[in-house]
Amino acid sequence: MIHLAHVSKQYKASTRPALSDINLDVEKGEFAFVIGPSGSGKTTFMRLLLREEIATSGTVEVAGKNLSKLRRSKVAWHRRRLGCVFQDFRLLNNKTVAQNVGFALEVTGKARAHIRRVVPEVLELVGLDGKANRMPRELSGGEQQRVAIARAFANRPLLLLADEPTGNLDPDTSGEIMLLLERINRTGTTVLMSTHDNTIVDAMRRRVIELHLGKLVRDEARGVYGVGR
Amino acid sequence: MFADVLRGLRRNVTMTIAMILTTAISLCLLGAGLIVARMTDQMRQIYGDKVEVTIYLNEKVSSQDPNCQAKTCQALGDALNKDSDVDRVTYQSQSAAWQQYQQMFAGQPEMLQIAKQSDLNSSWHVKLKDPQQYKVIQARYQDFPGVKSVNDQSQTLDRLFNVLNGIRNATIIVALVQALAAFLLIANTVQVAAYTRRTETSIMRLVGASRWRTQIPFILEAVVAAVAGAILAIGGLVAMKYLFVDKTLGTIMNAGILPPIDGTALVWVSPWLGGIAVGLAGIASYATLRLYVRL
Ligand SMILES: Nc1ncnc2c1ncn2[C@@H]1O[C@H](COP(=O)(O)OP(=O)(O)O)[C@@H](O)[C@H]1O
Ligand SMILES: [Mg+2]
Repeated sequence: MIHLAHVSKQYKASTRPALSDINLDVEKGEFAFVIGPSGSGKTTFMRLLLREEIATSGTVEVAGKNLSKLRRSKVAWHRRRLGCVFQDFRLLNNKTVAQNVGFALEVTGKARAHIRRVVPEVLELVGLDGKANRMPRELSGGEQQRVAIARAFANRPLLLLADEPTGNLDPDTSGEIMLLLERINRTGTTVLMSTHDNTIVDAMRRRVIELHLGKLVRDEARGVYGVGR
Repeated sequence: MFADVLRGLRRNVTMTIAMILTTAISLCLLGAGLIVARMTDQMRQIYGDKVEVTIYLNEKVSSQDPNCQAKTCQALGDALNKDSDVDRVTYQSQSAAWQQYQQMFAGQPEMLQIAKQSDLNSSWHVKLKDPQQYKVIQARYQDFPGVKSVNDQSQTLDRLFNVLNGIRNATIIVALVQALAAFLLIANTVQVAAYTRRTETSIMRLVGASRWRTQIPFILEAVVAAVAGAILAIGGLVAMKYLFVDKTLGTIMNAGILPPIDGTALVWVSPWLGGIAVGLAGIASYATLRLYVRL
């Protein structure tokens, strides 16, 4: 699903590379954590996969496509095969829960009838049935993140990228979000989640990819947060 | 989709109104310029083959030889008939001129009072083979015995055309300057709108909306505002016609000196204004999004 070979990313404004010489493969259907302290390059990694940034050198392949060679006009098409979730939810505050999810489908050209059918389904999947007509500000943080996940999952992506999705949530709510991501992973979607949260990582016993100052320092099939440093 | 466009425009009402008004003023002037240009063309057609040179006979000949039987008048008539530059000549007596004058100003007693038959001159109306040859005819006949003056209508017409062309050029130049202002205002409004809605557009890009799909709401908003401006401009032209042109220029238009500005002129100019509005807004917003906004 994901293949990185000798990938480095150097931002123009910064002196040290945000990522350097990363080699990595993630198989279809895997669940992997990306961990590391702030500034270690987790977000940069996600942005490369989203094709928000282009690697300075090396090859980034997602679902068989080399992103460095992807034409600009194909970027939108590429992103439709991905879903992404962020720490700050990124919901539209003037739209209801259902409209937020529907918006993503609408702007990618899905038919009205399809949207009417899919939105309630996916809201039910994330446990928000009954809250479809709420506004985001009427929801808790955890619920807002569920909306974001519903939006990311609505078009059944091959790969779900979650960049510190629990960063703004309390431990209990974080646990619920984790379970939700795990449920999504069980539908066959590859999930990549970056986090600081050691309890989650330790509890899950999933693959751990650890970055430090832009270098890949650990890649362990059933890792915990603390070991290896 | 249309509801979204209106919502987008409402979000920045002040800018939207400014955009509509600037576009409206620009298009209104442009429309006026186009109507004047069309009027000039119509006049050229109306007058083109009627233009003739008039050789007025002096007072003595006019009053003493009303039917052109004396030597002076006959000699002039013969010379004209033999002239190879002349296509056709007709004689108009003083009383015929007076009749024509009375007809022309039938509705205006004050015009009828300031003149009497003896003020008018009898004349030879000369249609030239080539209307441009007027100068030659003038030189040839102005010193002929009994001739008072040689008058060319095309000269008067040219003066009228010059005035009309001046009006046309002035309105179109002001319209273009105003169109530039409208263009810049649209560009700026689109930038501001794109900035205030950057969360929305960034989410659109993130979930895989195409660049075009992200841009189209802004372009549609600009186009809708410009079309509103065009409708206002057309309304302005209609108002100008009924409240201003018809009142001040009505008489000379009815007398057939100026072609009337009727409904067809407005119907003719409206699609032009609509099209220009759509083009202006479309190009301004698209260029802005391409060049200055990172979506
Ligand atoms: N847009 C950018 N321009 C310049 N430097 C950046 C940019 N984004 C991130 N960086 C730098 O790249 C490094 C990695 O950042 P980031 O990927 O955000 O790490 P993380 O998400 O793990 O905190 C940091 O040193 C950061 O300052
Ligand atoms: Mg980060």
